[in-house]
Amino acid sequence: MKTSSSTYQDTSIWRFFASVRLAVFLLITLAITSIVGTVIPQGESLQFYLETFGPNFFRIIKLLHLYDTYHSWWYLILLGLFSTNLVVCTLKRLPFTLKLYRRDNLSVDSGRLLKMPFKKEWEIKEELDNDSTQSIISAFKEVVGKFRERSDVDGGKLFLAERGKWSYWGVYGLHGSILIIFFGALVGLFLGFKGSVMLPEGEKIDQIVNRQSGEHIPLGFSVRCDRFYISFYDNGAPQEYRSDLTVLNDDKEVFHKSIVVNDPMEYRGVTFYQASYRAIPEVTVQVAKSATLHRSLTISAFQRALWPEEQLSFGLMQYQPNVHGKPAAQIWVGDQEGREGSFWLLKGNKKEFKKGENLYKISLTNAKQRYLTGLQVKKDPGVWIVWLGCTVLIVGFAIVFWVPHRRMWLWMGRRKGKITVILSGQTNKNKLQFEKDIKKIEKALDSSLGARQ
Amino acid sequence: MTFSSSYLFSLTTFIYLGAAALYLTHWIFRVQKVGLLATVVTVGGLVIQTVGLGLRWIESYQLGYGHAPLSNLYESMVFFSWITVLVYLIIEWQVKRRVIGAFATPFASLAMAYASFSPNVEDEIQPLIPALKSNWLIAHVVTCFLGYASFAVACGLGIMYLFKNRFSGASEGIIGVMPDCKVLDELMHQTIIFGFLWLTLGIITGAVWANDAWGTYWSWDPKETWSLITWFVYATALHARFVRGWAGRRIAYLSIVGFVAVMFTYFGVNFLLSGLHSYGSQ
Repeated sequence: MKTSSSTYQDTSIWRFFASVRLAVFLLITLAITSIVGTVIPQGESLQFYLETFGPNFFRIIKLLHLYDTYHSWWYLILLGLFSTNLVVCTLKRLPFTLKLYRRDNLSVDSGRLLKMPFKKEWEIKEELDNDSTQSIISAFKEVVGKFRERSDVDGGKLFLAERGKWSYWGVYGLHGSILIIFFGALVGLFLGFKGSVMLPEGEKIDQIVNRQSGEHIPLGFSVRCDRFYISFYDNGAPQEYRSDLTVLNDDKEVFHKSIVVNDPMEYRGVTFYQASYRAIPEVTVQVAKSATLHRSLTISAFQRALWPEEQLSFGLMQYQPNVHGKPAAQIWVGDQEGREGSFWLLKGNKKEFKKGENLYKISLTNAKQRYLTGLQVKKDPGVWIVWLGCTVLIVGFAIVFWVPHRRMWLWMGRRKGKITVILSGQTNKNKLQFEKDIKKIEKALDSSLGARQ
Repeated sequence: MTFSSSYLFSLTTFIYLGAAALYLTHWIFRVQKVGLLATVVTVGGLVIQTVGLGLRWIESYQLGYGHAPLSNLYESMVFFSWITVLVYLIIEWQVKRRVIGAFATPFASLAMAYASFSPNVEDEIQPLIPALKSNWLIAHVVTCFLGYASFAVACGLGIMYLFKNRFSGASEGIIGVMPDCKVLDELMHQTIIFGFLWLTLGIITGAVWANDAWGTYWSWDPKETWSLITWFVYATALHARFVRGWAGRRIAYLSIVGFVAVMFTYFGVNFLLSGLHSYGSQ
């Protein structure tokens, strides 16, 4: 095991991936290359880039996938290198951290203690009796709290207060969190979907079109939009977009929810967001063949209304909400033989049109706006992994930078023939607070030992 | 003029300009008393600005809108200036050096002056558009701006470091009174760590909010991307310490470049690029 590990760790490729230099290089490269996608508009049609940037630059854009920079092959390679760098750095550091973590800080001698960044030595003329030993220990304990001890260390007694040894693991959390976030993003990419739908009031859907692949994804339930509301502030700015939605399971209503921007609806892992809306006109016309044979038809934009018995179909071509104070609509009429025509109707006025042998009278009886709510629909089972990664990132960061590994030693014994008390310590972070604490012990020891020197 | 938030903010603008002038005077002519006066004036400005922010919050309720004063460019700049002064005063209190004030308070006064006098910045209280109506608004803006403000101070420290490093022989004069390069380097590092944590939290709260509002926690919108670019720059600065020969001067440069990225994330994206965050430019 030992030999094999030393061979692979010596290869130059391993050392390349384990270097902080590579990390710094990749961070700078990612920072610079990420700018590209904020300057060049993303996700437009290829035609757009050809027209905007000209044929030469267009070739570069196409080659480097600059129309979708952050999913381009070279950006993914950079992210892959970044992840590899993280993993290899972690593997390289792991043995050192384990050694640091397992190190027994009680097996030191008095000479080592005097090489610590903080040290203080008292040489005492007479042997310490039990009472003064106890008072020294309690002065130590008062500041450090819990401690461990070992007798017969370098001919004396050693006390050690150690805190935050585990903080060496923080950096693994911090670096691992990035990989957790990447993993969460991949889970979302492969197991989730994103789509959108324009849903007219009163209608329902039971499938979604995947935005990326264009596939139809069955939901396994259906969602109906009961109503859409929009309200405005006095200054004309939009105040609220709201859709009243109903979830149906086998045509049975399961539950209702009103969604607004920032407050989506979730059902069986699928989330519905209020994203946009559209208002389309809807007119009602009265068509009469004779005094007894007539029909009232509602025509929506983009939809045909039929009078099957007469083999007529109607469409709404244009709509004007206000012509001389009245709504007006341009109506299209067609029949089975392919004959068609169109005319304008003003509300309240009657018109006549002929189809084949027959003469019809038509009038516009009602006109209103009908709303379609624009819903963003998403399923992302990876999102919780991403949130986990974010949490680990923050906790790891706080540990790495703010949790110190502190060690304070107190040694009492005979050194170079003299009875000696040594107080020493080391910390890897926040030296100021550490010195404050250890000075407190020093002061207490000074007052109890000072007279004996 | 009545006792309103905009009156208090205009007052703050002049107080901060005065404070910046006092800190500069203190630094260049080395008069201790002027330094003390600068601190007093800055604290006074901060108090007045705090009252102003509270008042503006109340005023928005009186108008029937009712939202924290963090909803448009004007309010965000006032908040940026407020939090920069706050972060600076904490550092001054911790390290007891007023020279840094000459490099930090100008950022706060410039932000206030631009917010108050630029014709591009609309200073009226506006109602919240649906996209901004979220509990995440306050958390997102406060965390981001704590990051921005720390980076502003770190940039000031970086400039000081480069000055000091350039004329390292000077033990007297205006360079002599600056803290040692070692102290500046350590301070810069600590400030970047602090800012980096808040920037990270800002990006995360933004992601959580975006997931609620737009249905995706990350959409490579220019604002998001630029915050990530900024994050990369400061991550570089944090790792560069472990690369031989990179401590000190190069980190000072990174601190300045990082703040340029911050400024671009804050302003550049709004004015030069289009995206989902465009409400920040009004």
